This record gives sequence, C-alpha cells and structure tokens, in this order.
Amino acid sequence: MILTGQAIKQAYERGEITIDPFNLSQLNPNSYNYRLSGSILQVNNDGKGHQDFERIELPASGFVLRPKTLYLAATHEIIGSTKYVVTLLGRSSVGRLGLFLNVTADLGHAGSISQWTLELRVVQPLKVYPYMLIGQLAFWKQWGSIVEYRGRYHKDFGPVPNQDTSLLSSEDK
Amino acid sequence: MILTGSAIGEAVKAGDIVIEPFNKDQLGPNSYDFRLGNRCKIYRDYQLDSAKENLTIDYDVGNDGILLDPCRVYLFNTLETMGSTCYVPIIRGRSSVGRLGIFIDITADLIDIGSINQWTLQLHSVMPVRVYPGMLIGQVTFWKVEGEILLYSGKYGKFQSPVASLSFMDGGPDAVSSIITI
Repeated sequence: MILTGQAIKQAYERGEITIDPFNLSQLNPNSYNYRLSGSILQVNNDGKGHQDFERIELPASGFVLRPKTLYLAATHEIIGSTKYVVTLLGRSSVGRLGLFLNVTADLGHAGSISQWTLELRVVQPLKVYPYMLIGQLAFWKQWGSIVEYRGRYHKDFGPVPNQDTSLLSSEDK
Repeated sequence: MILTGSAIGEAVKAGDIVIEPFNKDQLGPNSYDFRLGNRCKIYRDYQLDSAKENLTIDYDVGNDGILLDPCRVYLFNTLETMGSTCYVPIIRGRSSVGRLGIFIDITADLIDIGSINQWTLQLHSVMPVRVYPGMLIGQVTFWKVEGEILLYSGKYGKFQSPVASLSFMDGGPDAVSSIITI
C-alpha cells in the first residue's frame, strides 16, 4: 500500500516519518517533493575504471549538467522512516527536461534516515539550481517483521560515492 | 498492494479506474499495456534551463513513425486517457520496448491520484530507434492507498498532452531564497 499525501503528513506528525525540513507546500496527493543539495560531486573517470570526485558548489545563478557525465547529489532534506519503505523518484517537471534522479536504484531501506544520495544524469545539457524542487518520495507499508537498515550508507550526509570496496578497481582499494 | 489484471478490469467497469479506449486484450496479469499517441514535442534548444520556459517544436507523427535520437528528449502523449480517483498509477515500459533501449519515463513513473488525462511520456533511447504512433509502448500498474485521498489539482491537468516541463512555474532561485535559509 502506498501512503496518500494526508497519510504522509500524519505519519510525519506522529514521528514515524522523518522529513527535515518539512514544508506542507511540498506535499502531493501521494508523494512529497524534495529539494536538491547545495553541492554535488562530479564523477571523473580516467576511462580505465578509476574514479575521482570533484565537489561543485552550485552557484545561485545555476550550473549546467552535461550529458554523458554522472553527478552525485543529495537531497537537501534528511529523509527516512523506521516504519515505511521509501522510494525516490524524480518529479515529472524534471523528467520532462531529461534529468534522471537515480540510476535504477530507487528503493530505500527502512530505517535509513539520511540525506539520500542522488545519481544525476541528463539527456540534454540542463541548468539546475541549488535547493530547487527536484524529486519526490513515496512511502510504502511493509509486511513482515522489520529489521532496520544499519548498512554503510545509513547515516549519510551529502552525496556519498560508492563505498563497496568489492566494486572498486584493484588500484583504488 | 498491486491490482491484478482482473481487478483492473473490474475497477474500469465500476468507474474507479479510467482507461479510454479500453481493450481487454491489453490487460496483463497485473498491468495494462498502453499505446503511444501521435503528438510529439521536442525542445527547440539543445541546452535547457530548469528555471525558464523551454520552447518546443511540435510534431504530428505519421504512420512512418519518428526516429529517436539518443541525444534528445521526446515528449509524447499516451493514446489512452487514463487515471484513477481510488488507486495510484505507476507506469513503466514494456519489456519488449526496454529490450530496444527505450526509456518511456525519466525517473518520473509515479502518477498523482486524480490525474486523469492522456499522460506525457518522456521518451529517450540508448541507441537510434524508430517508434510509431499507436504502438504498445508501456504498461500501467495500479496500487491501493493508505490514508485520506486528496485528488490532484495541479498545473499539468489543464493542458492537452504532451505538456513540456512547467518547472519554471516553481519560481526559480528567487522562490528558493524565500524558503530556504542555510
């Protein structure tokens, strides 16, 4: 079952959902709109699998994302729930501009309460702005006993690159 | 909870789900296959700005179809008018279409409850590929909700689909500075 906007608001008021800061104007019929972080990481790749990350503070005048480049961003809000499962997606206003908010990794773990890392990729060059409304969250009821996520990303603040050493090239380990 | 195909069919009969035109051959075990419309919008400029109105060029696509260029976003209407006042729709491509490298949405698969119209698809392909109006392009699933329902009354419902991004109506950086204090 997916929560309606009213159910999200009530769960927030009961403390079962964390959205900080919370703004009622960002509530939709069945989701909540989140904002882009103030800085992002551009992923630079040497073509042989070695990655490094360049931090970019997004200027108020905007920053142009380039195609064929991966950027890691974060939600401005601290988001999560111990009771519901979160899925992260883009807003249709942003999808219509060709901006992907994740790379087929839209499912959050229950119990992960953090600024969520977004994986940005554009089809056409697109100017984005710090703290713009960029995506939305949906909340889902779960069935079964709950084991909260205590994995490597569960207290992330800001965009966090891959931390799974088994996925790094041998040079980077 | 996701609706089965037969539950979708019954909800259409009961008026809780709108799919128009409806063809029971397009019902799957837990989704409904929808068709590509013939109206297409492409942005006039290559570089886009999320705080400004981005002008589009409109095409009526004929039976010859249109060749998707991987470097562009193509906004299309769905042939069907769809939506629900009881269930939340989520769209995705058909696997037959995914296998051709065609995205039908750009991480925007969740439809607001109460948004009943021809939806705007965001087509993007990994490789050049030709698509045709009327082809079965995607599928819609319907999900039960928890909580009080307030129906969608937002900006996109007022226009004929496809509708280009209205993100400029969010107010841009000025609106942000009035809300966000860092």
